Amino acid sequence: MVPRSRKPEELLPTGAPLTLVDADGRAVPSAGLAMPGDEALLALHRKMVLARRFDTQATALTRQGRLAVYPSARGQEAGEVGAVLALRPQDWLFPTYRDTMAVVCRGADPVEVLSLLRGDWHCGYDPYEYRVAPQCTPLATNTLHAVGVAHAAKLKGEDAVALVMLGDGATSEGDTHAALNFAAVWQAPVVFFVQNNGYAISVPLSKQTAAPSLAHKGVGYGVPGMLVDGNDAAAVYAAVRRAVASGAEGGGPTLIEALTYRIEAHTNADDATRYRDQAEVEGWLARDPLARIRKHLIARGLLDEPAVAALEAEAEAEAAALRQRINTGIAHDPADLFRHVYAEQTPDLRWQQQELSAELAAAADDPEVAR
Amino acid sequence: MPAFLLPDLGEGLTEAEIVTWHVQTGDTVAVDQPIVEVETAKAVVEVPVPFAGRVTALHGQPGDVVAVGEPLLTVDTAETGSVLVGYGTSSGHHRRHRATRSSGDTGIPPRNGRPPVASPLIRQLARNAGLDLTTIRGSGRGGLITRQDVDAAISARQAEPAAVPEPAPAVPPAGGVIRIPIRGPRKSVADKLSRSRREIPEATVWVDVDATEMLRLRAALNADESAPKISLLALLSRFTILALSRHPELNARIEGDEIVMGPSVHLGVAAQTDRGLMVPVVRDAQAHTLEQLAVAVAERTRRARDGTLGPAELTGGTFTVNNYGVFGVDGSAAIINHPEAAILGIGRIIQRPWVVDGQVVPRHMTELTLAFDHRVCDGGTAGGFLRFIADCVEFPANVLRHL
Amino acid sequence: MTAIAERSPGPPVTAPEVTMATALNQALADALTEDETVLVFGEDVGPLGGVFRVTDGLAARFGDTRVFDTPLAESGIVGTAIGMAMNGLRPVVEMQFDAFAYPAFEQITSHLAKLRNRTRGRVALPVVIRIPYGGGIGGVEHHCDSSEAYYAHTAGLRVVTPATPGDAYMLLRQAIECPDPVIFLEPKRRYWSKQATVLDHAGTNPKTLDRAIVRRPGSDVTLIAYGGTLGTALEAADAAEEEGRSLEVIDLRSLSPFDDETVTASVRRTGRAIVVHEASRFCGYGAEVAARLSEQCFHYLEAPVLRVAGFDIPYPPPHLEEYHLPSVDRILDAVDRLQWQETSPAVRAGG
Repeated sequence: MVPRSRKPEELLPTGAPLTLVDADGRAVPSAGLAMPGDEALLALHRKMVLARRFDTQATALTRQGRLAVYPSARGQEAGEVGAVLALRPQDWLFPTYRDTMAVVCRGADPVEVLSLLRGDWHCGYDPYEYRVAPQCTPLATNTLHAVGVAHAAKLKGEDAVALVMLGDGATSEGDTHAALNFAAVWQAPVVFFVQNNGYAISVPLSKQTAAPSLAHKGVGYGVPGMLVDGNDAAAVYAAVRRAVASGAEGGGPTLIEALTYRIEAHTNADDATRYRDQAEVEGWLARDPLARIRKHLIARGLLDEPAVAALEAEAEAEAAALRQRINTGIAHDPADLFRHVYAEQTPDLRWQQQELSAELAAAADDPEVAR
Repeated sequence: MPAFLLPDLGEGLTEAEIVTWHVQTGDTVAVDQPIVEVETAKAVVEVPVPFAGRVTALHGQPGDVVAVGEPLLTVDTAETGSVLVGYGTSSGHHRRHRATRSSGDTGIPPRNGRPPVASPLIRQLARNAGLDLTTIRGSGRGGLITRQDVDAAISARQAEPAAVPEPAPAVPPAGGVIRIPIRGPRKSVADKLSRSRREIPEATVWVDVDATEMLRLRAALNADESAPKISLLALLSRFTILALSRHPELNARIEGDEIVMGPSVHLGVAAQTDRGLMVPVVRDAQAHTLEQLAVAVAERTRRARDGTLGPAELTGGTFTVNNYGVFGVDGSAAIINHPEAAILGIGRIIQRPWVVDGQVVPRHMTELTLAFDHRVCDGGTAGGFLRFIADCVEFPANVLRHL
Repeated sequence: MTAIAERSPGPPVTAPEVTMATALNQALADALTEDETVLVFGEDVGPLGGVFRVTDGLAARFGDTRVFDTPLAESGIVGTAIGMAMNGLRPVVEMQFDAFAYPAFEQITSHLAKLRNRTRGRVALPVVIRIPYGGGIGGVEHHCDSSEAYYAHTAGLRVVTPATPGDAYMLLRQAIECPDPVIFLEPKRRYWSKQATVLDHAGTNPKTLDRAIVRRPGSDVTLIAYGGTLGTALEAADAAEEEGRSLEVIDLRSLSPFDDETVTASVRRTGRAIVVHEASRFCGYGAEVAARLSEQCFHYLEAPVLRVAGFDIPYPPPHLEEYHLPSVDRILDAVDRLQWQETSPAVRAGG
């Protein structure tokens, strides 16, 4: 598994981010990327509308105490949706805790996905159903898992690429270094999709790295890096498609850096005014990914106002359904605590489960329990 | 009419302060409409209402601090008001009614012929009493030998006539080596002595005292043969009580991090008996006259030798006096009677050369020794205490000044 | 009896109420003021002031050469702290949450704990690693771990955990001054708890870094708790009082080293002990306490030493958390299991 030696210029990203649709919705020619077809563009737009409405609804639910926490990806819809739509059904998605939009876009049921954040269980969906790894808080740990899954697929002769999402902050973790290196040495079909949204909670990019860009980090490992406008869904989609195809054809890993911005604070518990200006946020609102693709589609006659209205109504209906389902609590079974620790429950755990059952039965029988 | 309760807005927050209301009573609100701005320890948050309807009450003014779980506002709505999921540090765990306090047995089956005993403490209790556990029937589950079982066995044994501590079991001396088990009262005493030395940082002061005047006084007091005999020990006790009133720290015990001084002097008077060392206690000795003290001490000592003292008369002392002069020795670094703070001892009284008015003359000399717990007082106090008693012994008439 | 810090602090009646987060903040500020070699760094501790606001205002006040954010790498934070300490500085670093400290575990166990010993005392590493730990805040996975056993098991580390704001101030000040590396575990469920107290360094008594404290005297059972479970233990003691049992509650404060003197003195008096901690029971910290008490107090014990702890499972999701954490009821159930019938003398008439 000797890595193909490539010249540095083949590995370095472009100086300017790759774009296909600019901030004003105009098509821009790109040497590196192919403009997606109309159907793909319409799908991107639709999914972004739904994703945004989902996100704002989740944020509201959190402030109402219906979700324990919600790390919003508002403003990052192009990356969340663009990367996922570029995957094939047999590919794997490795999301971070912020990529709930992406997981829902991939097809998982939104309430099952929110299981983690509502506090019902650590992962509410079956990873094998849509080939989505569980979301979790530690950063960059998923990069190594993605490499492993991809490498195993290769060993099995399976055509599957793993796309791992990480943020600018996560690229500083040691696991990212190991993952890029392993992926390169093994030529594993992995797409490292870095959404650089400017902040790791409060720490800005300037304190996170001295690299010319995060995409430049690839060359050190022999991994080609691509710098992409992360608010341009068409460019994101095209870039990921290209990276997936490369991986599928034996071209090994690719590192994509998508430049975007986290419009909301880190989570509902964060106070972003402590570390950034509203002016900065306003600047990025003006480069809204959804507005941009919509403008483009309308200009090309692929979308009209009624169609947009219908989409927004669809999104609204989904939000209402989400509210209703989230607000309807589900029963939690304490026995679940002991069921899945091992493949086969140990005698000690069985005993502990019985102790808890007895305790709960006693409480249930007790007329004096103050509820 | 559901109330919207303040949620935990950030991983364990407990409260929030209302900053601004965006609505007033009577307003109609839509689902997710922002209705109030609150400030938590972490951030200022705009909170959207989860129900639609008419606002019927606002539960607080700007500046008020609301606890998580308390109502923010009430909305008149057709919705059934879904349960608000609470997070955070709510410790609202309902207490279960605790009807039966089961003894929570351990149900241990006997292993390898060793009877199971409820605790090491009880096993030791049995061992000290010289009980053979295999002869005790355990009343606990699985034959567990409980404290009650051991106590019952001890009582049964005490009912037996043999009151003399059993002699050492006949062990044929192997090469002349004899083994005597330390059991029963001897064990109790041994433990107490060990504990005293282990726990108490004691120091000792002593002084040679001219007891000539005290002997003369005693002879004078005892000239009346109809009156109760005043013993040396009684005199010494009376002087001690007087000294304790001046230095109450020596009439103390240490409990945890505190020195506890009581108003009463429960005086222990050491007595050597066939059963070993015993220390009967004269309670409230400070309320006894010299004569009453002499009577009490004599009576206690007699009963100690007869073995008729009850446990209450052997415990609870606050200070001990010890006459080892009867053994024919002068001084002793005595072991403090734990948990007391000090012990005073007097040695033999014999004639020795002493200087009086510049002349070397024979006087009746004795040595007083005070062993004390250095935590309760310093050397100055201990020395002062001993000096006072020494002065009483040397010039007993002066004692009248303090009465 | 001995003073109970929670109930009768002793300081003037006008002592203000402070939260634990504020007390910690004050400790850091005072340490930064008094010792120019002290640095505070980690993720989001600068302008943000920390996700729990423990470093609030420090960057503005002391500048970003002394209080600063690092790139996102826990191994980097601890590894560089080790180097800084080797070169004369006193780093006080933060791990954002208990479970995020694990990438730094190699640096902590292989080097932070061992460099003094490795170099026969020539290299001292006066580093403090502050870690919010424990649950009870409804946090999602990885936000509620109790990892104290891993650190306590590592020779060369001191492991300290305050349960009150007053202690948070005092122990953090002393930890920073300590020549040994200290893992400073902050029970996050107590960050917003308040106490009316004067924040006192107790600098004249450095030994308090090693000492447990009796929070509530009692005579029947010794409850041994620390950090997040102290509150539950005190509640249990109140409840037990209603049932006629007197529980003595000890706040360990120092997990490593262990204050044998305070704890064994108590257990020798009560004859019964229960350890209460959030961490799983199996191989948890309570196992060490139980073994020590068995060794040192064997003949004073009326019953086995019991542990009320989390189940042997990964920390539950928020909705199931309450079933896992030690509760007042569970502690009282354990009290019931302490062999009262089997070990008490029978009540005799007139006896």
